[in-house]
Amino acid sequence: MLSHVHLPGSAAEAADLLRNGGWLVGGGTVVMPRVNTGAVPVDSLVSLRRAGLDDITVDGRRASIGAAATLADVGEHDALAFLLPVIRSIASPPVRNLATVGGNLVVGQPYGDLAVALLALDARVEVLGADGVREVGVAELTVGGAEVLTAVHLDVPDSGTWFYRKAMRRRHNSAAIVTVAAVVAVGDGVVRQARIALGGLAPRPVRAPAAERVLLGQPFDRPTVEAAASAARQGVTPLDDAYASAWYRDRVLPVHVRRALLGED
Amino acid sequence: MPSRIVTLTVNDADHELIATPGLTLLAALRDALGLTAAKRGCAQGTCGSCVVLLDERAVPACLVPVETVDGAAVRTLEGVAAGGELDEVQSAFLDGFATQCGFCTSGMIMAAEALLADNPSPSRQDVVEAISGNVCRCTGYEPIVAAVLDAARRRAGRTA
Repeated sequence: MLSHVHLPGSAAEAADLLRNGGWLVGGGTVVMPRVNTGAVPVDSLVSLRRAGLDDITVDGRRASIGAAATLADVGEHDALAFLLPVIRSIASPPVRNLATVGGNLVVGQPYGDLAVALLALDARVEVLGADGVREVGVAELTVGGAEVLTAVHLDVPDSGTWFYRKAMRRRHNSAAIVTVAAVVAVGDGVVRQARIALGGLAPRPVRAPAAERVLLGQPFDRPTVEAAASAARQGVTPLDDAYASAWYRDRVLPVHVRRALLGED
Repeated sequence: MPSRIVTLTVNDADHELIATPGLTLLAALRDALGLTAAKRGCAQGTCGSCVVLLDERAVPACLVPVETVDGAAVRTLEGVAAGGELDEVQSAFLDGFATQCGFCTSGMIMAAEALLADNPSPSRQDVVEAISGNVCRCTGYEPIVAAVLDAARRRAGRTA
């Protein structure tokens, strides 16, 4: 039974409140179902709705997204239009109007498709704790009980270098079977930069280093992409859950890496 | 902590209510204000039967602690029919047999209202996406999709 719902006016105030326990709540799309079932007793919630963490600023290529910005806010931002396919692949419009960027980063796979995209973008996540602010990558992100994720910083990718594909059981509002996000930049006819991130496979989004190595220095064509897609299976032990079996995810992973990078339907 | 007094503007009328800690917007609407069009389905944000407009955006009201939205403007299905006249979405649902048991209808209509406010001439795909968070176990969705598209045409005809 809840006895407090706190509405701190800043991230620092939120972190202070969390030292006394309680759950941090952004949009509530993960926390409130747990509160509503009453299955796990919780005494207090610390809401970020008034904490001033919902700004999105884009200055040239550099973008900073407040952790409490909603998925809808990101999808509607003109300078972040490349992320719109990512946002539209997540849940439904009403949930996207509540769900926050910070929540998506911590929710865990097979949810958290924006986190997969942010890993491919090499985004840095700002976390405020008792010892001040630290910055971590998406793959290494862990958030302690009294820490508050405050912002995400990323570079907007050059036109034509961004790739995204989410395989799910239906076209809308389903968790990931496999999510593929990638930045692949070509110069002088060969791949100069490749960052491929995968979701739906492990508890956190993972990079596909073997697939990236296959691409680097090679022409960005179908044979190379097919070789990279096969290599993406290396080191991956997929999740087994209600959305898909580990066996199925392993089988279809190369298909979706190929479709993502070649823009196939 | 004691309960708090929360102010909401619901369907253009100001209301004050006493919110116990963690009271959801849905419970506030239904139990404190007696507005029972928004339905309590899953309480998980999954079924869409409690969708209302919160500051003009469609949200599942079961996921919102009402204390966190003190001062907000809310629109429910009760506030859609102006002066007792069904609006275009409601009349298109009625004429197109887009309701059967009716449990999802309030959430469906509010999701459709949010879509049409933002996008007055949606494609079929836009409609499908807009109601992708609303579960209907009766109709098979086809009459609902058709009704939303019909509502868009009716609204365009009225303002043309």
